[in-house]
Amino acid sequence: MIKEYSGIAPRGDILLIQKLCEKLRGGRFLHINSTREGGGVAEILQRMIPLLADLGIDARWEVIEGDNKFFEFTKKVHNSLQGTREKIHKEMWDYYYEINRKNAQEIDLRADAVLIHDPQPAPLIDFRPKRKKSIWLWRCHIDISKPVESVWQRLRRYVIKYDAAVFSVPKFAKSLPIDEYIVSPSIDPLSEKNIELTKEEIRNVAEKYNIPLDKPIILQVSRFDKFKDPIGVINAYKIVKKYNDCRLVLAGSPATDDPEGSIILEQVREYAGKDPDIHILLLPPNHHRDINALQRMADVILQKSIREGFGLTVSEAMWKEKPVIGGAVGGIPLQIIHGVTGFVVYSIEGAAFRIRQFLNNPEMARTMGKQAKEYVRNNFLITRQIRDYLSIWYSRKYPGKNVIEL
Amino acid sequence: MGRKKIQPFEFKQCISIIRSTGKKAKNLVELRNIIAKISDESIFHHVHQYFLKGHMLEYTNDFAQWAGESLEERALAERLSSIDPYSLKTIDAVRKQLIKEIDLFLKSFPHPHDVVEGNEFYFNETITIVFPIGVKTKNLAEFLVALKHVDPASIYYHFYDSRVRLGEGIVDDFSRWIEHTLGNKDLADRIRSIDPFMHSIESIREHVTELVEAYVRADMEGFVR
Repeated sequence: MIKEYSGIAPRGDILLIQKLCEKLRGGRFLHINSTREGGGVAEILQRMIPLLADLGIDARWEVIEGDNKFFEFTKKVHNSLQGTREKIHKEMWDYYYEINRKNAQEIDLRADAVLIHDPQPAPLIDFRPKRKKSIWLWRCHIDISKPVESVWQRLRRYVIKYDAAVFSVPKFAKSLPIDEYIVSPSIDPLSEKNIELTKEEIRNVAEKYNIPLDKPIILQVSRFDKFKDPIGVINAYKIVKKYNDCRLVLAGSPATDDPEGSIILEQVREYAGKDPDIHILLLPPNHHRDINALQRMADVILQKSIREGFGLTVSEAMWKEKPVIGGAVGGIPLQIIHGVTGFVVYSIEGAAFRIRQFLNNPEMARTMGKQAKEYVRNNFLITRQIRDYLSIWYSRKYPGKNVIEL
Repeated sequence: MGRKKIQPFEFKQCISIIRSTGKKAKNLVELRNIIAKISDESIFHHVHQYFLKGHMLEYTNDFAQWAGESLEERALAERLSSIDPYSLKTIDAVRKQLIKEIDLFLKSFPHPHDVVEGNEFYFNETITIVFPIGVKTKNLAEFLVALKHVDPASIYYHFYDSRVRLGEGIVDDFSRWIEHTLGNKDLADRIRSIDPFMHSIESIREHVTELVEAYVRADMEGFVR
């Protein structure tokens, strides 16, 4: 399987993955999260587990089970950790623990390295088998830099029992008495979302959604959510439209867990009015290949968020050699190096100006697009993430060493 | 008559795992005080390893970049950016130089402002994993071919990282091998005259390739330089 990435991922990363797998051959690597499908974590695990197994690692992926009550609670915890106040009853923490205890009885927790993803299964650390050589890591995928403090303090009790924590971005990390690593998330270049498509397939998708390919396309792919600022995107488009003829495509899936989603969508539709050059597409979930095609037909891609986690849609666009304009929030500035791999903007006017720059300078757009792809190749592909996980596991065998020679 | 066995040049590469130190600075005084105490590994990561990023940004180390972009103190950013870690022999010398520049700035502007929340400077450090990439060369011609094709991280390891690793502060792996194993001091000196601070990894690759190529061509054509 790793060979499929040859010629796509950096040679060094592929080589190091192979070497580390030789060293760790037969080692048991257990991942536990709370969903088999949906979301970036599951997408990466679906690919990573068979790939590691193929290289001789005893890789296993378990999913904790819970009822609605449990997941409603963990959703509240999730929101609170991202700074939104939620009503959380004290006894719910006991229920959360109890569900984890039940899962611990069902799941074989014996492994050499265990990666527990996000808060839902965090209490599993209390059921760690008494085997000294194993390492337990808590992998946090969300931005907990400004949490509701009481909720974080409660979760922290579990977190500090781990050997180490892994965060996506330095500024998402907390000051903890355990080791903390930074591992950025990644995209899979071979997934439906990112794989190369033929021109014909791209044309077919354009036809399917009634998007004429007669003028430049500006695209934003995101949920209809106020933090993605779809109204701001329309305003930027309206400014651009005075100077350059173009189309705007806003494509997103309905957010089932977000009642505000449909309200925002209505607002966006109303705001767009009857402009035939604005296309608002509501795609069913998992229409990854269509999104892929939309990104490939676009001339400029926006991610004008005003709040963001890591914002991997930016890397997805960059991988397709597109000039990207993103809001200066969350992980976006880590992907867009201003003026090199795209532009970071702070306002609607800024976004409009950069769109016009790209539309008027196709050569610059092409150069930045190419640089963007290289940047993603070196930093945000799944192989780099696998390499990092294996490296952390291996390096834990040499505590205190800052340089490890293979 | 047996020929003396030549020790081949083994190309290696390195990657870094980033570790958060949990420390962050929201203004210049905090930055200065943390720089004074933080581990050598953290200074190394934010200054020396900046070259691994491929010179894509305006300044030449993370501290300068933060001073320019987040504090918007361009003069300080330029001064910090002028600190050449490869001309200084130790990490501690780099640390002292950073502190000296910041203190000088604070003398003129003693009341530093805070950056907006989220834009603090986050101190990280790294664990470096070094691995051979399976390429060994026994002569300049083979070396030349390899040089053109290895990953940028390999050039970084042999040209930049070596200067700190070997503790001498001045030497890269390429010229050491060319001088000590191939006995070609002239070429070694030419490679050493390339200023690591003034180039990106790709331009280092270009320069070394050009120099080596000239020798290989001359050798093939039977010239003695």
